[in-house]
Amino acid sequence: MNSAQFPHTDPVDFIVIGCGAAGGVMAKELAVSGFRVVVLEQGPWHHEKDFGHDEVAVMFRSALTNDPKTQPNTFRKTSAEPAKRQQAVEYGRMVGGGSVHFTSNYWRFHPDDFRERSTLGPIAGADLRDWPITYDELEPYYTKAEWDLGISGLGGSNPFDGPRSKPYPLPPMPVKSSGVLFERAAKKLGWHPFPAPVAVISQPYRGRPACVHCGFCESFGCEMGAKSSTLAALIPTAVDTGRCEVRPDSYVRKIETDKNGRVTGAIYFDRNKREVFQRTKAVVVCSNGAETPRLLLMSKSNRFPQGLANSNGNVGKYLMFDNGAFATGVFEHPLNEYKSIVVTRVLHDFYRSDPKRGFYGGGGIDGRFDSYPAGFALDGLPKDMPQWGSEWKRAVAGSYTHMMGVLGHTSCLAVEQNNISLDDTVKDSWGMPALRVTFKNHPDDMKAMLFILERQKEILAAAGAKKFWVDPSTNVETTYSRHLMGSCRMGDDPRSSVVNRWNRAHDVPNLFLVDGSSLVTSGRQQPTETIQALAYRAADHIQQAAKRGEI
Amino acid sequence: MSISRREWILATACWSEVLRGQSPTSGQFAYFDRATAGEIEAIAAQIIPDDDTPGAKQAGVIWFIDRALAGYDQDKRDLYRHGLAAAQAKRAELFPGSTSIAGLSAAQQIALLKAIENTEFFQQVRIHTVLGFLGHPKYGGNRDMVGWKFIGVEHKMQYQPPFGYYDAEAARGDHK
Repeated sequence: MNSAQFPHTDPVDFIVIGCGAAGGVMAKELAVSGFRVVVLEQGPWHHEKDFGHDEVAVMFRSALTNDPKTQPNTFRKTSAEPAKRQQAVEYGRMVGGGSVHFTSNYWRFHPDDFRERSTLGPIAGADLRDWPITYDELEPYYTKAEWDLGISGLGGSNPFDGPRSKPYPLPPMPVKSSGVLFERAAKKLGWHPFPAPVAVISQPYRGRPACVHCGFCESFGCEMGAKSSTLAALIPTAVDTGRCEVRPDSYVRKIETDKNGRVTGAIYFDRNKREVFQRTKAVVVCSNGAETPRLLLMSKSNRFPQGLANSNGNVGKYLMFDNGAFATGVFEHPLNEYKSIVVTRVLHDFYRSDPKRGFYGGGGIDGRFDSYPAGFALDGLPKDMPQWGSEWKRAVAGSYTHMMGVLGHTSCLAVEQNNISLDDTVKDSWGMPALRVTFKNHPDDMKAMLFILERQKEILAAAGAKKFWVDPSTNVETTYSRHLMGSCRMGDDPRSSVVNRWNRAHDVPNLFLVDGSSLVTSGRQQPTETIQALAYRAADHIQQAAKRGEI
Repeated sequence: MSISRREWILATACWSEVLRGQSPTSGQFAYFDRATAGEIEAIAAQIIPDDDTPGAKQAGVIWFIDRALAGYDQDKRDLYRHGLAAAQAKRAELFPGSTSIAGLSAAQQIALLKAIENTEFFQQVRIHTVLGFLGHPKYGGNRDMVGWKFIGVEHKMQYQPPFGYYDAEAARGDHK
């Protein structure tokens, strides 16, 4: 690869901060369009050969994610209580970010997701809003993302999906036993299961080999490059332009501005914790729904005393989390779900918000297995049975290969009091204020979660599970999330949103925020495709505006 | 070291031999003294007993815990120190005249652990024991992959469908 190397003192065209699902798209699109791009990624740059099957490192020692030992965050349900040190957010911390370690579910939002306020009216205790854009405006970019990255699925198989201009580029992955049981049960119940669209390639695609079903998708990196992460699918193209320099282990602490209120560069810690100032003509922040608002709040100046792009005080507010309960069933015969990808069948019959139910929201449901041996032994069995000793040991051995889960992915309302802010006292290992998360579910979040949970149990019963149960930790209020949405949301009104319909900060003409923080509503979780479609759309706009001299 | 598929292909020779060579099957603990290791191992061996199938002892769980406390989990040393002291106090209370956890009968050990099973200390030993049993052998536990064999995984680096009973049945068209 012919990587560019830019001097710090010479302004590049763009700094992209954060090289994940959105940042990888932005880096590639801007570099291919002819711009000089420096990508600052706080995590390391792993390559396929670095990804193994080490559950201890990945699941228990944060090998690929923010490590609470060096990057603690604090949590509280409301501002009335003290925040305590407790991990509430987790994100992929490496080149490729969450697109490297995610489960690979790749759902489009539905057309209704963009206009729920208009169709449903206001919701008490929440700030439900329409998006400034429609599904139709985003559709070409959903298609672009699916073809650029390599998505496997069966277009048209989900009767509740919006219209699509092209099929998926790759056929669905082979169905697993969980998918067979899920599909049989759902059809018996009169529902509409469909093959899961996933960011894993079922056949060789653009020089990358097909999935070999090793079973280490969720939370792990793919050593085949068959998971369609930005690391595997886009970064090589970006670097090969000779105009994109990816700097791993580069942790930004402040975005600098000049007296005219324009962004001039970013100050970051390099891998030796030395401060570096990189100059630029514009900045695109793609640091995720938690780190993006944190960085803006840390970038205070005389001109922006409340933090950058925060004249209306909305930066960090309306944070939305990943809701959904988990139900598990044991079956007579072995499923061997530890093989291959996590999810092969999904249904969206209860996705749409139906006012007749008496609450806002709904959910998608999938059949899955996402346990690894140690995690399963620790937490996978019902809590009403022994959790250690001979009886427990026999139960672990007898059920690991005979189980599947049914997971709900449910709505999360935007509530002003749910936010990201800076902790007053706790600092990370670089001396920067820790993320402070304030989050309490809206009552309708809980109602939707429990409503969908009943459907999950019906699926397990209809599938013929010998026994099924609900993990007691999953139908209580959400205190932890890997989906980080809404904290710098998009809108036409500068008084109530942080970025405009093109992801440009209302307050700062040469600053763009492109990641989960822009989302106005949560959809039904699985935000990655929408985040990436927004990134392709924003990149299209940014490069055209830059060429016209409008940045 | 991590096992990637490329390394797997290169090392089609005997992985378990390679891994055994790297496990501290004997010799020095990095953190524990012998007596403490014996007490912790006695607890681990009731969490995952060596009964009709291998358990914590055969898997070498104590070596995993020793390395964890010497390295990544250094911040849990106080929890072990104070937790074990409290467990010893409970032992003395329940079984006057006893001198160690390892010296109790199996039934006494189980009674002791039931008395402390909701403590942070016991929960941490349970986590470490399970990781030492089912985690990667390179950390010193899961000797000869006994944990993975026990839980029923084939431990290959790739698979082809059918994966399980029900997808095989569906592929054959057998299900009515």
